[in-house]
This record gives sequence, structure tokens and C-alpha cells, in this order.
Amino acid sequence: MTALALDESPPLHAPLRFFATAPVWGAGAGLLMTLRAELVTASRWSPETFALVHVLALGFMLQVMAGALLQLLPVAVGSAVPRVRLLALVSHAGLNAGTLLLVAAFLGAGPTWFAAAGAVLLATLAAYLGAVGLSLARARAIGPTLPALRIAAVALGATVALGFTLALGLGQIWSVPIVELVHLHAAWGLLGFALCLVAGVAYVVVPMFQLTPAYPVPVARALPLALLAGLGLWSAGVPLGFRPVAAVGAAVLATATVAFAAQTLLLQASSKRRGRDTTAWCWRLGLCCLLLAVASASWLYLGCPPALRAPLEYLTGVFSLAGAFPALISGMLYKIVPFLVWLHLSRRGPGAPLMHQVIGEPGPRAEVVTHAAAVVLLAAGVASPLLAASGGALFAASKVVLGLNLAVAMSVYRDARAGMREVRPDPPGSP
Amino acid sequence: MTGRVVDGRGLMPPEPMRRALAALTALPPGEELTLLLYREPFPLYAVLDRDGYVHATELERDGTYRIRIRLGR
Repeated sequence: MTALALDESPPLHAPLRFFATAPVWGAGAGLLMTLRAELVTASRWSPETFALVHVLALGFMLQVMAGALLQLLPVAVGSAVPRVRLLALVSHAGLNAGTLLLVAAFLGAGPTWFAAAGAVLLATLAAYLGAVGLSLARARAIGPTLPALRIAAVALGATVALGFTLALGLGQIWSVPIVELVHLHAAWGLLGFALCLVAGVAYVVVPMFQLTPAYPVPVARALPLALLAGLGLWSAGVPLGFRPVAAVGAAVLATATVAFAAQTLLLQASSKRRGRDTTAWCWRLGLCCLLLAVASASWLYLGCPPALRAPLEYLTGVFSLAGAFPALISGMLYKIVPFLVWLHLSRRGPGAPLMHQVIGEPGPRAEVVTHAAAVVLLAAGVASPLLAASGGALFAASKVVLGLNLAVAMSVYRDARAGMREVRPDPPGSP
Repeated sequence: MTGRVVDGRGLMPPEPMRRALAALTALPPGEELTLLLYREPFPLYAVLDRDGYVHATELERDGTYRIRIRLGR
């Protein structure tokens, strides 16, 4: 009774194709910021800003999250994704093609490109959500991760539907209220999908890899529900003009986001590995950026002077899209990828490298330091586009380092597998 | 029925799995092993199902999963 059962685990290449592509988009986002800093810092409504936002949100964030879910569902909630090899292949291709089309559309390729991007992304993400939704519906986990992931999936569906409607509007196929839909699309994507997903995964990986106590169950169950309720109230209030309802929704959203960040920081403060783990610093950077994003968004919502409106919108974007989620994603990748390498090599018998031997500490440390400096410069970009451009270049550098770190993990995997192959032949279905 | 406990909370993977598997190998017939973790161990469930063990899991308010394992008939 020693071998691990991996029957439900997807092959290693299924999540890794997403993980390997994401740093390319991340570096691209940094370069785009460097080249178009003046336009991006001036307004959240410029086409260049929309292009940059979607390079980060689709090319980097959703890329990693979509790949991670394929791997995490069997491990975290005990339910495999059906037809996972085919789904990984098709959804990876569709997500990248759709993102390229959308970014080209924003950068001036023409209205038809919005419709094409919308169709590709809708078809891809509908197929992805169908398979992942089936897995979540079949799952039998009893903890708070499963409801959080189910809410995240529902929110991704809402985000995709709103995005497709916007693509039809921008493609001049259907007349839609663009501004209101943009607000709803962004809120459901960032708070409904991304934050619920991060929370659901954090309930597993923070205690597991950072050796903290667990999230208290009542808190862990309440947070995703509060985010869903807040989004529901806010979504009903904004387009219908019910300002008090929208205000309650916004307050619930802000409180739930702060509660998640504060609870996680509190748990990390009592970690047995306190101060020694670079990925914990990724989490601290991400959570502090999340709190800053809530602060700037709250000031915007509560009524800032008109002159501060554009700068605060820019800062909210920097802290959430360039700061919080990329840092949290790196923190997770630096644990999940070594864990997967160990897990898949362990299948072959003894001799698998330990998790901390797969990537090591210096590489992740270089990324988190570069990323933190990038966020500081990007935030300072509110005063000078030159600083924002420098921040973009550093952000690109940090994602190049992330890509190199993941390449190191793959190299360790290949070398160890080659060594083991001399002792034992490959089992069927090996990656 | 007597019981043994493996507390895997606060241990870095794969140590909890390794200790649980070692404890199960040494578990006398009729005895129960209780595993304490901060997550539900689905990869371990797959091993237990394959090898004829029965298990039941409860979640406590502090986030501890209490997994009771014994050899099935």
C-alpha cells in the first residue's frame, strides 16, 4: 500500500500548457503598458486600456485559472473533469485565439474582429464551463471549497455572457448600453469569478503549503455567498437606478473582499513557516494590493473630487489586475507546479525530487521582488506616464522570470523521469 | 474498537499521506485509524477504496477534517 492513485488526475501537460502560455501574455501586457503608458494612464475607457486589461484578464489570469481548475478539481473536491485531454487542448487553443482576436479588435483591427473574438471566446468558454460544471455538479466534497468553486463557475458564466453581449455591441451588431455592461462585466469577472476561485483554492492550498491553521468554516462558507449576494444586489441596483440597493451591494462586496484578505493575512501570521517561504510573500503582496484596490474603488464609489476620478480608476486597475491577482497566481503556481511534478513522478516509484527541490527559492524570490517594484512604479504612474512605462517594463521582466522558473520545473521533471525510466518503463497514459 | 490517530495538520505534503499509509500498513485488524487534516484527502480516498478500506469524514468548525478509516470486510 504505497503507490498513489492517480486515475482521476489529468496528464501533466493538460494544466501545464496553460501555465506555460500565461507568462508570455504577462510579458506582453508589460510591453503594451510600456509602449502605450500615456493612453492607459489617461483613461480607463481608452481602447489601449481595454486591450491591456484583457491581455491580463484573459491571457494571464484566466489562462492560469482555467488550467489549474482541470488539475485541482480531482484533488480538491474529488471530481475529475470529463474528457480532460481534449478539453485542455481545445480550450487552450480557443482561449488564446479569442484573446488575440479581442486584443487586435481593441487595438484597431475593426468591428468585425469584436464579433469574431466574442464568438470564439463564447464557444470555448461554454465548452469549458460545461465540462467543469459537470465535474462540480458531481463532486462530493463536504468542505467550503466546493460551494466557492460553484459560485465562481456561475460568475464566469455571467462574465462570459456579458462579455459576448459587449462584443456584439462593439461589433456594431447589436445596440447595447456599453458603459453599464462594462461595469457589470468587470465586477462579475473580478469579484465573482476570480476572487471566489482564489478563495476556494486558498482554503486548500494556504493551510496545505504554508502550514497555517485552516480557515474557520463559517467564515469560509460565508465569503463566497457574500460576494454572490453583493454582486446580485449591486447588479440589480446599478442598471435599474436603485441607488440604496446598489450601495448595500457595494458595501457587502468591499466587506467580503477585505475579510478574505484580512483572514488570510491573519492565518499567515501564525504559519509554522513564517518568513521563510517566498510564496508567502507573493500572497502578502497580492493581499495588500487587494486591500489597496478596495480602498481606491471605495473612494471612487463614495464620491471623490472629479479631478481624482481618472487617477483612482487607474489605481484600482493597477492594484487589482497588475498587483493582486498576478501575485496570488504566482504564489499558487510556485506550490502547485512542484506538487504536480512530485505527484506525477511519485507514480513511477521512489526517487521523486521533493517539492522544494523542483524550483527552489532564488527564482521565485527574483520574481516577487521584480513584481513588487513593478507595482510601485505602475502606481506611481498616476503622476507620470514615464514611471508607468518603467513599471510596465519591470512587470514584463517579472513574468519572464516566472516563465523561466516554470521551465526549470519542467526540466527537473524531464530529468527525473528519464532517470526513473532506466529503472522502470513508462506506465500507460504518461504525460 | 480501539483507535490510533495520525495528526497531519501542519505537516508539509507528502508527509501526512506517507504517515497515514505507514499507519494503515501497521493497523491491526478491527482497529480504526483517525487522520486529522486541514483538507479532504481525495488522492488518499482513491487508495483506500482500491485497497478495501472504508472511511468516513467529518468537518469541524475550525476547519479540521476528521477521517476515520478501517479495513472493510
